[in-house]
Amino acid sequence: MKHLVLLLGLTGSVVPRLGAQSSTQDLLQQASAFYERLDVERALPLLRQIVSPNWPFEVTAAQRVDAYKYLGACLALVGKRDSATVYFRAAIERDPFADLDPAVFTPAQLRLFGEARRLTFAVAVRPVAPARVDPRTERLTFAVVTTHAGSVDIALRAVGSDSALSLFRGVNDGPREVAWDGLLADRHLAPPGRYELRVTGNSQLLRRADSAVIYFEIRHEVAPLEDTLPELTARDLLPEQFSRSAATRDLLRGLVVAGAALLISDVLASRHLGGSLKPGSAVIAGTAVVTGAVAFAGDRRHPDIPGNVVANAQRRAERAGQNAAIKGRNTAKTAATVLLVTPAAGVGP
Amino acid sequence: MAQRAVTAFAALSVAEHRVDAGYGVERAWGAILGGGASLRLGARVELGLRVQGGRLNAATPSAVDRDVGEVGVEAGVRAVPWLTFRVGAQRRTYSSVIARQGWTMVDVGAEVRLAFARGTISGVTRAALVPLVSVSGLPRPDVAVTAATGLQLRRRGLTLGALYSLERYDFPAQGAIPRVEQLAALTLRLDVGLGRR
Repeated sequence: MKHLVLLLGLTGSVVPRLGAQSSTQDLLQQASAFYERLDVERALPLLRQIVSPNWPFEVTAAQRVDAYKYLGACLALVGKRDSATVYFRAAIERDPFADLDPAVFTPAQLRLFGEARRLTFAVAVRPVAPARVDPRTERLTFAVVTTHAGSVDIALRAVGSDSALSLFRGVNDGPREVAWDGLLADRHLAPPGRYELRVTGNSQLLRRADSAVIYFEIRHEVAPLEDTLPELTARDLLPEQFSRSAATRDLLRGLVVAGAALLISDVLASRHLGGSLKPGSAVIAGTAVVTGAVAFAGDRRHPDIPGNVVANAQRRAERAGQNAAIKGRNTAKTAATVLLVTPAAGVGP
Repeated sequence: MAQRAVTAFAALSVAEHRVDAGYGVERAWGAILGGGASLRLGARVELGLRVQGGRLNAATPSAVDRDVGEVGVEAGVRAVPWLTFRVGAQRRTYSSVIARQGWTMVDVGAEVRLAFARGTISGVTRAALVPLVSVSGLPRPDVAVTAATGLQLRRRGLTLGALYSLERYDFPAQGAIPRVEQLAALTLRLDVGLGRR
């Protein structure tokens, strides 16, 4: 109960007259409306509440920058140039991309804002938005800014890598867009992984330096690749040479036929009849023995099997041709790789 | 649908016929010309038709010249690439000035084919029993066997074969006189593949 009373009292003292519209955005809009009507005296307290440490509601970075810009603009209108510059610098320090719209603010305010920029040196890079980039036709763009002229080095590197790709090195003043084609220094597509973009700058007006870094993740989107055909094994190929046993088998086959001829004429034939065209069986037996011996010698001296050698060569050539086609298709798919870019929080999860 | 292949063949045989019907061995020999065709159904089944004929001249005083003619059909089933079971039926006629004798035979057997390594030459050996034999004027033989062996050379749809064959028939004795008859032949055969459907 004591805490509740204290909270009600605190709220009532800090935000009087706000009623239901007590959020930061509402208050900022209210202050902006007062400013539009040049009612600076009523706008200033509201804006000061927003940047006050006692303001009980959440204030986003953008809201705080807007509050500082309007504070600077209000103070410029009432002739408090130095105070205006201080608030403009506060806005620029928090967001180096901060700027005043020439259609909304007066030339005097713009001059003071420019003066604040010259007194403040900061570099910044916007976080990347999730993107799908085809490196063949598209580029990933980084938005970088320096508050005033300075030498700037913009380098991209894979997290953990020593080699960096320099995207820009030179003098910069104000915002700059830097495009990246997705290739690293070796002109190969950036592999999947986490990357950092580091911007370092040295003021040409002040003896000041600043740096900023963002992280992002790259993944590859590539059509599924085909596997190449496996190596041909012995089971896929025909024997290209006769084995020694094959030669021996040929000799035995000849002997088997010769033996069968002699068996038929000498054993199966009737002994009583005294003959069975024995010259015929002898011709067959002799031919079989000679055939077996010639085959045996031929198999041993010329073991190559030309038909099988040619057939195997054709199979190997077919496989090589199919693999070449597969590699070609895979190369085409790889060449069409798309980079999927997402912002990341740091060097690792 | 099973693939069909038709093969035609021509054969020339030198044949020797020997028979002893109780009057000593009669021997006759001569050339026999033959031909036929076979039809292969698929990879396993083969059907064949064979016709042959020739003249056997008497080579002993007791023998007489005779003409021989034969027509036969055959079916084979390949069990494995090197083994084929066969069944066949033949009608054979011996004609001489003395008589005309008809033979009807049904044989059942197997053929072993041993291909040499280079594949163009094969050794062939066949053996068959002849369980059904009907010979005009004679009883059924006690022993009826046939066997053959030889070589085949295959090249571009042509198959040239040389085969030694023997048929033996031992008839039971009639009046204490046994009859033994034998036909041996050395055959040169050319097969020509006529195409596939």
